[in-house]
Amino acid sequence: MNPIGTTTTALVSEETALAVLREAQKSGADYAELFLEDNESTRIEMIDGKVESANFARISGAGVRVLLGTQSAYAYCADINEATLLETARAAAAALGEAKFAPNGEIRFVRKHFTTPVKQRFDTIGNADRVEVMRTGARVIKATSSEVTQAMVRYLDQVQRVTIANTDGVFVTDERPRTRIYLQAVAMNGTEAQTGYEGPGCCRGFETYRDVIDVEKYAVSAANMAVTMLHAPECPAGNLPVVIDGGFGGVIFHEACGHSLEATAVGRNNSVFSGKLGTKIAADCVSAVDDGTLPGEWGSINVDDEGGTPQRNLLIENGILKGYLIDKLGSRRMGMPSTGSSRRQGYMFAPTSRMTNTFICAGKDEDEEMISSMAEGLYAKKMGGGSVNPPTGEFNFSVSEGYWVKNGKIVSPVRGATLIGKGSEVLLKIDRVGKNMWMSPGMCGSLSGSVPTNVGQARIRVSGMTIGGKGGAIE
Amino acid sequence: MTYQEFAKRAKDYAAQIGCASAELYYANGESFEVNANAGEIDRYSVSREAGVSVRVALNGKEGYAYTERIDDPEKLVDHAADNAKSIESEDDHPMQTKQTYQPVTRADSALKNKTESERIALAKKLEQACLALDPRVKRVVYCTAGYDSGAVVMENSLGLYAERSTNSSYLYVMPSVEDGLELQTGFAFRMGAEAADVEGCAKEAVEDALGKLGASPVDSGCYRVLLKPFAMGDLLSAFASMFSADEAQKGCSLLAGKEGQTIANPLITIWDDPFDPVAPRAFDGEGTPCVKKAVVEHGTLKTLLHNLKTAKKASVESTGNASRRSAASSVGIAPTVFRIEPGVLGFDALLRELGTGLVISELEGLHAGVDAVSGDFSLKAAGFLVENGAIVRPVSNITIAGNFVSLMKDVVAVGSDLRFGMPQGGYFGSPSILVSGLAVAGN
Repeated sequence: MNPIGTTTTALVSEETALAVLREAQKSGADYAELFLEDNESTRIEMIDGKVESANFARISGAGVRVLLGTQSAYAYCADINEATLLETARAAAAALGEAKFAPNGEIRFVRKHFTTPVKQRFDTIGNADRVEVMRTGARVIKATSSEVTQAMVRYLDQVQRVTIANTDGVFVTDERPRTRIYLQAVAMNGTEAQTGYEGPGCCRGFETYRDVIDVEKYAVSAANMAVTMLHAPECPAGNLPVVIDGGFGGVIFHEACGHSLEATAVGRNNSVFSGKLGTKIAADCVSAVDDGTLPGEWGSINVDDEGGTPQRNLLIENGILKGYLIDKLGSRRMGMPSTGSSRRQGYMFAPTSRMTNTFICAGKDEDEEMISSMAEGLYAKKMGGGSVNPPTGEFNFSVSEGYWVKNGKIVSPVRGATLIGKGSEVLLKIDRVGKNMWMSPGMCGSLSGSVPTNVGQARIRVSGMTIGGKGGAIE
Repeated sequence: MTYQEFAKRAKDYAAQIGCASAELYYANGESFEVNANAGEIDRYSVSREAGVSVRVALNGKEGYAYTERIDDPEKLVDHAADNAKSIESEDDHPMQTKQTYQPVTRADSALKNKTESERIALAKKLEQACLALDPRVKRVVYCTAGYDSGAVVMENSLGLYAERSTNSSYLYVMPSVEDGLELQTGFAFRMGAEAADVEGCAKEAVEDALGKLGASPVDSGCYRVLLKPFAMGDLLSAFASMFSADEAQKGCSLLAGKEGQTIANPLITIWDDPFDPVAPRAFDGEGTPCVKKAVVEHGTLKTLLHNLKTAKKASVESTGNASRRSAASSVGIAPTVFRIEPGVLGFDALLRELGTGLVISELEGLHAGVDAVSGDFSLKAAGFLVENGAIVRPVSNITIAGNFVSLMKDVVAVGSDLRFGMPQGGYFGSPSILVSGLAVAGN
């Protein structure tokens, strides 16, 4: 977000980068790219207020990718000295065949340096600071209810420093600080146990625990979820209307639609939404965006992982499909420009098209009315994770805190609900979108590894979905 | 700096700053993977990696630090010592001492002695084989061949020294089929010694996809269910943490304190078998010699899985189940090779035993729809409707819901068809299992 002049923090010199790219192109690649990473992270785990484990890890390595048309090859190595980088470049080049010629196109680097604005850097704090934040969470979880038998708090902070150079002339460095705290409560009564959790996270420094993330609020929420679910009957099964709350409820769009808009699926014609640009794929009340540029958000990026510029990508406008999420290789397959959507977990993965902060935009409907006008159905207040098979669009996700609705009123909490459906069908069945949109963080796993993404939406209603559960009718 | 120099300096420095013991866990590896698409190399990846973790014991607490830069052992030890100083848990986590191990031979996997171009050809051939099997196979979503090799070396200041090297090969494919009305995908994989079985893999994947054409939900209700090996193996994997003594000691397992009690139908025996040819190993993640044991024997829970920490706390011996997911991870607990003992019934006999109900061949959403603390699951499922012992039609877009502990008690029959699922951080095998009732959501 903030280019900060040209002070060098690069993990490689321009000369070495140039030599590596030339080596990588020797078998005829029309594009080569070097990605270097130096990633330091601290993880701490606390059980019932006592620190159980503390772990530090420094991950450091580099990957070289070459493209020839739509063929791609990737080689990586946990070492970043010049000799190893050249060897890695040769390994990638070898996939395309024998060395043929010395590439003669001139590469002129344009240097850019990014950093994320941070008030309190993670390398200026100690474990005592981290533990203090965790202890607050553990204490509040336990204090919320006598039925909470255990509080578990996990903490992560990491700073990923990258340098990306490619034959398009990109030479960019970025520093990406992220932190997340995972608060879990277990409530028990003799034989049964239920859990509740929250996992807020940001792309900021340690100040986030003063300025942005209210740990006590999330701790109360996690504890209440566990206690509420402990007293909840099993969710009944059936095909009924479902109201899904904002925040992590946006996982429905992430699974039902988001993955199927990635070039990885669309570019190979492996998506239900291939060739559907400009056509109606969702109800009129649905507009959706993927925006990697939102300051400080968990899924935000200053620069994408092949050196491209992230942007706000309009995916759906009033039900009409407007755009896909495209990386460089996808752009070659699809004949469309890249959308700054190339991401990877780290140097061990070739980059590909991924989501950043993805959400259904706020609409015009009233939150209360969605439930009060419902004869019978489920109000899914908190969602767990999910998954999708992009070629068929069939998705599933779990409901971690649900309530049964009858005659317009919430009659009981329910546990153990799962929602399933097909993306192409469920998007057309959204009949309400509320006014207040918010996002929640998650980790999204796909071809290029696990990357931080936000999901989001305002409260929505789907006129009918398959609700999985093992409970009987709720009176 | 060589690794040997790094290790020596790390141990010396740890002793110098007052650590009672120090341990190094070094892992390196090379990998190759290729994905074919439309007859071309579509994705290709090769790698060489190495990393080292140091673990120190300082004033009775342990701390970890990991790095992939073999350059500054003192700094790494400082990081680990710093982490040790933060620990508040009173649990003692001893390090293993010098041990002797029984020799373990692991058969070379199928792609070990193949050249790179032969491995690429295998992936291309797999795609072609799928396309050639049936005109309804329109595309192959992915089609991948891979080979990994690596080594692990553990050593500590108490005299422990353990090393092993491994290699693995795999092949997997997802064809998509269309019949003009709908699209379905299938999946199959081969690993280890079978990883060059292109024809078998293609045939299984295409049959899987074609079998799903025409699938629709069934009415919601309670059904007798025959869980096929991969579906049951996935459940076993998702709930394996119930068998961890660590989870039990934290109050997060329903099996806590149930040793010696009946927790499953007498038809069920579950082995933790570190010497199973699928992935044999001589020592665990702490260097403790591995042992084969029945974890559940004819329905009775014989033992939970222990590492040195939980064993000390429970005043028992470690069961050799210390695990490290990677060199960067701290010591936890995991099964080695975990499998349900097969019975004698073939698939047709199981169908007759099922009578009317559902065959479930695949489950989705296992990272979200299961709660290992409560044992509850609610998962998207696909399979077949069976009436009077015969398959009637394919079924999709349903969920099945139940509780793993209840399910283990509700077992009615066990098949003879043991298979291992695709390894995802562990090895889980099961035969088909018939259970008396699960809740199904559909129409």
